[in-house]
Amino acid sequence: MELSLKRRKKTTIIPGFSLTFGYTMLYLSMIVLLPLSMIIVNTLSMSWSEFYETITHPRAVASYKLSFGTAFVAGLINVFFGTMIAWVLIRYEFPGRKIIDGLVDLPFALPTAVAGIALTTLYAPNGWIGQFFDFKISYTPLGIIIALTFIGLPFVVRTVQPVLQNLSKEVEEASASLGATRFQTFVKIILPELYPAMITGFSLAFSRALGEYGSVVFIAGNMPMKTEITPLIIMTKLEQYDYVGATAIAIVMLSGSFIILLFINFIQWRMNRKFYH
Amino acid sequence: MSIQVKNVSKSFGSFQALKDISVDIESGELIALLGPSGSGKTTLLRILAGLEGLDEGAIYFDGENITNVSPKERKVGFVFQHYALFRHMTVFENVAYGLKVRPRKTRPSKQEIAKKVNELLELVKLQNFQDRYPSQLSGGQRQRVALARALAVEPKVLLLDEPFGALDAKVRKELRRWLRQLHNEFHVTSIFVTHDQEEALDVADRIIVMNNGKIEQIGTPDEVYENPKSPFVYDFLGNVNIFRGRLQNGKLRQGQFEISAPNYLDSHDEAVGYVRPHDIQIEKEKVDNETVAAKITFIHIVGPTVQIELKREDNGEFLEAELTKEHYKNLEIQKGDIVYVRPKQLKVFIPEDFSI
Repeated sequence: MELSLKRRKKTTIIPGFSLTFGYTMLYLSMIVLLPLSMIIVNTLSMSWSEFYETITHPRAVASYKLSFGTAFVAGLINVFFGTMIAWVLIRYEFPGRKIIDGLVDLPFALPTAVAGIALTTLYAPNGWIGQFFDFKISYTPLGIIIALTFIGLPFVVRTVQPVLQNLSKEVEEASASLGATRFQTFVKIILPELYPAMITGFSLAFSRALGEYGSVVFIAGNMPMKTEITPLIIMTKLEQYDYVGATAIAIVMLSGSFIILLFINFIQWRMNRKFYH
Repeated sequence: MSIQVKNVSKSFGSFQALKDISVDIESGELIALLGPSGSGKTTLLRILAGLEGLDEGAIYFDGENITNVSPKERKVGFVFQHYALFRHMTVFENVAYGLKVRPRKTRPSKQEIAKKVNELLELVKLQNFQDRYPSQLSGGQRQRVALARALAVEPKVLLLDEPFGALDAKVRKELRRWLRQLHNEFHVTSIFVTHDQEEALDVADRIIVMNNGKIEQIGTPDEVYENPKSPFVYDFLGNVNIFRGRLQNGKLRQGQFEISAPNYLDSHDEAVGYVRPHDIQIEKEKVDNETVAAKITFIHIVGPTVQIELKREDNGEFLEAELTKEHYKNLEIQKGDIVYVRPKQLKVFIPEDFSI
């Protein structure tokens, strides 16, 4: 690696490339790649058939569907409402705006278990909110979605906010003077500018939701085949000292997330091409 | 379409941007709104477009009061200084936007839109660029797209906010000539804001000179340049030399030095005389009292003209003269020489009316 770098070395006026690049690689290896590769190393002690059997166990398959499905739905909900919150916070002046702006970060700061317990009590059949619905929310996939939406909220708001802030007013005025209605201006001019940030926010919220454990276990009810999320299956296996089984499932999750994130990045790359040539 | 602005005032907080402005603009005119930054020219333009509300007064388009009509219904084309192109749309989509957002009833068919857009792109000489995105265009090209986009909706008034302000000198000159041509072809009433006097003098039918939220003078470029109504207009339309003195028998006196001011025979006031650099003549010998001795401090040769900075020997004030290169060579002067300066054309303002 070092050799090939030296050979290709070009003069640049920005200093410190080798230092920062070297540190980046070391850091990424230690913090991300090494732990992740341990998952694969661990799993290698399994035979192929054992591995296949573990990951295709009906309980595991049901949990993949649940985890990916709920994380996806929660991500979508967050894109919609997160964008709206960012819009309100940037576009309008009202008393308490700063406070609401601060509230947005709360799901980050709160220990996830606390959030989980709070949400479970609220949405339980006899809880403050749950009592108004004649169907169950806690202990169903619906409850999981609510918990995942809660913890993913800040991502979309915080990625869309700066873009909205920097949006030039002139572009909207140009649209209005060309005869567009406010709605047309919003849909055709403002939203397209926000899409890249919304997608980034979505992928962050989605990946966070995929790995979420603390808040979900309380509200999910954890019924096998119905409300058991993949991280819980991994936890259960760990508690039974089935480390290899846990890492096998983890590999499936990891590859799934990787493929989805890659796909999202691809969409984003195609979109950004318009803006920055 | 003719435009009437009647007693319009506008404040932003405690800052009064426009103070009781009234202007009549005839149909088909090309008007320059000229003034320094903060003079209210852009505010007036934005009020005409409906992008800004007004505090007092009214605006009439063809005699119809449109003060409270939204920008969308004013049929005004607006070109922004920084183009304000839609960066996620191609050149074609940008130009077509104004037609595509029309309500279904009045919206032209796809083919009609394409035809119209192609015509406009041809007009702005960008027909080969229709699939590019704004970020792939140069500044001049972007401004031409912005113009085509504004023209697509067939506006009755075209408003341009410092349209060439962000472009380099050569492109700017090209574009303003082109704007003039365009205007000769289409005769749409156009108003453009500029702080560049040369641009205003070059392009406009009439110039509105603004300062401090008020109109200083309205007139053709020639009128405004040759007969400025106030020291501000004189000063703003070009470089000036100032001679302070007292009027006496049709002369502006300053100690020994006197300049003839034949229009002020009866006046005996303190007055300020203004002379353009190109109206200053440099002589090597003292012939009469209408010249004043000065020392050459700098000589700049700028292309075909020569700018000479002088310092008066009597009171140390600085003067600026502009000569042709030929004249300069014949004079055989150099830095440090003492020469005699003769103002040829003097414009006198009596400071009672105007404080400087």
